Amino acid sequence: MISRFTYFKPHNLIETVQYLEKEEKSFVLAGGTDLMILLRRNLIDAEHIVDIKALPETAAFEFIDGAGLTIGASVVVNRVVDSEVVKVKYPALNQAAASLASFQLRNRATVVGNICNASPGADLPPALLAYDAVVNIAGTQGIRQVPLHQFFTGVKRTVLQRGELVVSVQLPEPGEGDKSIYLRQTRLRGHDLATVGVASRIKPDGKVAIGICAVAPTPKRLFALEDMINERGLSHETIEWAAEEIKEHIHPISDVRSSALYRLQMASVLLKRGLFNLIGKED
Amino acid sequence: MDNSKDCSMYTEHIESGKRKVTLNLTVNGRQVVRDVDPSMTLLHFLRDNLKLFGTKEACGEGECGACTIIMDGNAVTSCIILAVEAEGAQITTVEGLAKDGKLSILQEEYIKADALQCGFCTPGFLMSTRALLDHNPNPTDEEITEALSGNLCRCTGYLPILNAVKSTVERERKELDR
Amino acid sequence: MDEKKYQSKYSRVGQRYDRKDAREKVTGQAVYTYDLELPGMLHARCLLSPYARARIVSIDTSKAKALPGVRAVLTGEDSDILVGLYMQDKRVLSKGETRYQGDVVAAVAAEDEETAERAISLLEVVYEPLVPVHDIDEALEGKILVHEDINDLKHYEGVFFPQKDSNIASWNKSKKGDLDKAFDESDLVVENEFSLPAVAHVPMETHVAIVQADPFSNKIKIWSSAQSPFTIRQIMADSFGISESDVEVHIPYVGGGFGGKAGIHLEPLATLLSKAAGGLPVKVRATREQEFNQLPTRAGMRGRIKTGVTKDGKLTGIKAVYDWDSGAYADYAVNVGKTAVYSGLGPYAVDNASIDSKTIYTNKVFSTAYRGFGHLETHWTIERQMDILSQKLGIDPYEFRMKNLLEPGFETMSGEVITESSGSPKDCLTAVVKEIGWTGRKTEEERQREWKTGKVRGKGFAMLQKAPAMPANTASSVIMQMNGDGHVKLMIGAVDFGQGAITALAQIAAQELDIPIEHIEISAEIDTRSSPYDWNTVASKLIFMAGNAVIKASREMLRKMKEVAAQALRTEPENLMHANGEVYHRHNPGRRLSYKDIALGYMYPNGTGIGGPLISSGSSIADGLTNLHPETGQGNPAAVWTFGAHAVEIEVDVETGYIEVLKVASAFDIGQVINEKLVFGQICGGVLQGLGSALLEGYKFNKDVQLLNPSFTDNKIPTMKDMPVEIVPIYIENPQLNGPYGARGVGEHPMISIPSAIGNAVYDALGINFHVLPLSPEAIALGIASGKKSILCTDVDCLPGLH
Repeated sequence: MISRFTYFKPHNLIETVQYLEKEEKSFVLAGGTDLMILLRRNLIDAEHIVDIKALPETAAFEFIDGAGLTIGASVVVNRVVDSEVVKVKYPALNQAAASLASFQLRNRATVVGNICNASPGADLPPALLAYDAVVNIAGTQGIRQVPLHQFFTGVKRTVLQRGELVVSVQLPEPGEGDKSIYLRQTRLRGHDLATVGVASRIKPDGKVAIGICAVAPTPKRLFALEDMINERGLSHETIEWAAEEIKEHIHPISDVRSSALYRLQMASVLLKRGLFNLIGKED
Repeated sequence: MDNSKDCSMYTEHIESGKRKVTLNLTVNGRQVVRDVDPSMTLLHFLRDNLKLFGTKEACGEGECGACTIIMDGNAVTSCIILAVEAEGAQITTVEGLAKDGKLSILQEEYIKADALQCGFCTPGFLMSTRALLDHNPNPTDEEITEALSGNLCRCTGYLPILNAVKSTVERERKELDR
Repeated sequence: MDEKKYQSKYSRVGQRYDRKDAREKVTGQAVYTYDLELPGMLHARCLLSPYARARIVSIDTSKAKALPGVRAVLTGEDSDILVGLYMQDKRVLSKGETRYQGDVVAAVAAEDEETAERAISLLEVVYEPLVPVHDIDEALEGKILVHEDINDLKHYEGVFFPQKDSNIASWNKSKKGDLDKAFDESDLVVENEFSLPAVAHVPMETHVAIVQADPFSNKIKIWSSAQSPFTIRQIMADSFGISESDVEVHIPYVGGGFGGKAGIHLEPLATLLSKAAGGLPVKVRATREQEFNQLPTRAGMRGRIKTGVTKDGKLTGIKAVYDWDSGAYADYAVNVGKTAVYSGLGPYAVDNASIDSKTIYTNKVFSTAYRGFGHLETHWTIERQMDILSQKLGIDPYEFRMKNLLEPGFETMSGEVITESSGSPKDCLTAVVKEIGWTGRKTEEERQREWKTGKVRGKGFAMLQKAPAMPANTASSVIMQMNGDGHVKLMIGAVDFGQGAITALAQIAAQELDIPIEHIEISAEIDTRSSPYDWNTVASKLIFMAGNAVIKASREMLRKMKEVAAQALRTEPENLMHANGEVYHRHNPGRRLSYKDIALGYMYPNGTGIGGPLISSGSSIADGLTNLHPETGQGNPAAVWTFGAHAVEIEVDVETGYIEVLKVASAFDIGQVINEKLVFGQICGGVLQGLGSALLEGYKFNKDVQLLNPSFTDNKIPTMKDMPVEIVPIYIENPQLNGPYGARGVGEHPMISIPSAIGNAVYDALGINFHVLPLSPEAIALGIASGKKSILCTDVDCLPGLH
């Protein structure tokens, strides 16, 4: 690590965003599981590290009936894995969280960090997208809310401006009978980045929501495909059809982890398995 | 994380242009106060400053678990944590496992099951195991595997390690009255 | 594994002792080279070539040199030292041209790692990228030479055969019988090609060396995470033009090796830096990334095989061509290539055969020894081919192999006659086939039925053999001295990097001397100044060679002890027996002395002493080995064969391509178990490494031959979640009459043929023959999707993204 930086651990949100705006080469530290790699590989030149773990706003992790779930920017992934309410209300998020990296890393990695890193293959966004998550962003002008599907702008890029900080991510409460599942394919059983990850959700009204990662420059919500599925009505035939149709809605690349061809095939298999699982047929 | 322990730390810019932060923490039950550079990792702090060489670096990127320690009750990879983040923390390293001049049951069972060969990954495995059993004294095979699969070992094929954890569970249940 | 299952007939040999180094390793006390700090020690960092092949136009070191804390900056202009095990082909620092993305272009020694790293970032290098040699075929065309000076390279003559004006570092050959006639007379001739990529060793401790070069003499002190202290000493002396005795090598605990730490790696660079820094000790430690892209790998390999067979299943002839993609340097790879010409048929008896094995330079990461030393690769070819032959003949693969396996009276490829003492391949195969309940291949109908469930099971098995690949005059030695308390200090020159050598050797000594193993004092730390010579710690030869040396030393010690005791007890040595740490008269057992009464010399009641401190030694040298004939490959290269077999059961997810390994049964004819706990560890570890090669691991290069996966992010190794559901080790004990207690080596063998057994099981499950590794989910799924019945290298190579 070549970077030499100062360390600032504020307690006050306003002070934090002002600092981030003032200091150009400042970087936000929460779990550090991505930031530390960038520093170690000298991919960023940091002069200031701002540790947000003492900000009360980032510690929030609560479910409120009617309002839904709030996950603060300091909440580590294993807390989400262990949360009973997440298991019951947001099973796909629980499964995605439990599949992320390794146990030790999940003790440090944060949910919000997984979003802000904006990796195309990030595991949590598919589930969060399927749950219509909204990102709460603090800036010197106050808080703004951005739906997660508008948050990502490219590989490792987001709508965040200088001086802005994601404070939390918020998920509306799913209705009674909401079902979801997250399936991912990896090269081995042990910790690995997803070759493809698909979150499938069926809402109480029978409408589907589909989030997917590692098949485009950003994690994606497949709205167009959802509309087509919803129009046809969910059935075995529709699922089989959707498993083929999904290939028209994604644009995977070939890289060291997988060929585009295999990603297309896995997106298809994982969507089919997910939806069949949700409608109660063991594929 | 318990925020009440944190104190806001502004970096002091001292004359030479070096940046130091005073760090207070507890390591293996001992209170430690040191001035550190904010860019120092917790792993380097433990090794270079405290001379606790049992904790190893094998990848430096949190992917292999060789540097696993227990911080405030949780197994974490110390190579990708800044030392300054450990302000106020309770830390246990492999050197803190044996008590009163006697190996812990965990260490004895690792020996007995031959759960180590070259030994370089062993401290990390021991710490991951300790953290698991502290949270969950009766883990299933799947829970053990989940907690330990972030630790890489190239020698043992893992089966002897799994066996060691299981026999530790048995003995701790009997001998520690769990 | 049932702990009580294995019963040894000996009191100490064969018993399940805890390893002697375990206590230090579970308490964090074990000191590795990585942990060592010396007074005044500097830390080094390297600048690696970003291109596979480039001309270094200029290097500006001025900013790096000016950085406070920097003590030395070196480039290829500063030293022309060449190193190499068998071919002196590697510059310590690149000059003119870089040969792989990983060649060291410059190195810095500074007061701390961060300063060294910062200095590296200040180096300004101008490169002119050159077209690299991408692969074996391009290399064989020879339009671009990786080493323009190949004709002049100093090499080990008569054993390795570099070809003039080519990229062939060595072309080794063997042949016997009349192959043309054999193929003419065969009922069936089958030709196939198999291949596999380079794979990393992944020791958990990366390569690290500390060197202190005395500025006032030729003396060089080395501390290194290495398997071969005496080889380092010899090569350092050779490369630096000094005497072997000028070089002292210390080996603290070593965090894994697997062959990757045999030979010499970072030591010469650290030496140059230490000299440049006025003799201060310099530590060079590879980062994990450097471990992948700078330090050597296992070579990629392509095997082409043509086999003739009669319709009742008798092998008539085999022609095998093995091409090894050695990358930029020859290192151990030429010896791997050589080994293939005598072991590259597997444990089969064939009268007519030829093997051509070429170790080939390309601009990839260079290669070296890796657990199994070419045998995993050649067996991937042979054992898949045997399975395909049995498919084509419609003969059960077990029956087919049993018709052709070596047995006493048959000759190996190099003409060595197998005897009862050589061990039995058939016993191994029969044991594993029984263990997995083999009842014959699946029918197509059964496959189709299972396919509908989405998961298909398959069983498969494969043979393996390996003998240590070592020079004909390979030697080991040990020294033994008795302490005043009757304990014995056993000094060895071989390195215990986790395989359990010190524990196993202590057991042999304890057995011979009949004292508790706790009374054997033996250290894993080696110091060439005081440790006796051992050629190398490689090749699964340690227990065989050093074990025999321990027996000799023990017996010499007993003889000397009995001579002194005979005087003291007023009898002849012939009348004396020993047991439980005591020497006693065979007729009057009451006349006895404890070892400790003789250890430092026996003292009469009046104070007079006789004998003196008991010390003994033992040497062993490979028995009756010869170099191979350069054209025919005939000779005796194998001191001790260990035969074995694996059988596996797998379940394939036909949509995702994921292979779940349900069971691995592994049998090895190891002659005698020395320590069942340690053997079990070697089997579990070797099997999982084999599964890594089978299912997961492999280097991926882009079109510019730059490594795409130089970190754990994309160069994965199996985790605890990737263990097979069940591993069953089976120990066959047909003794080797000249082995210690009949024992043979087994360190490497568990890894060999795991890919072959999995590949054969994949055929059983899917009816598809895969010819390329790894059998990743992607390869399997796309292989199925292709509709082909044979998946060749080109099929997978053509997948976008992989190349």
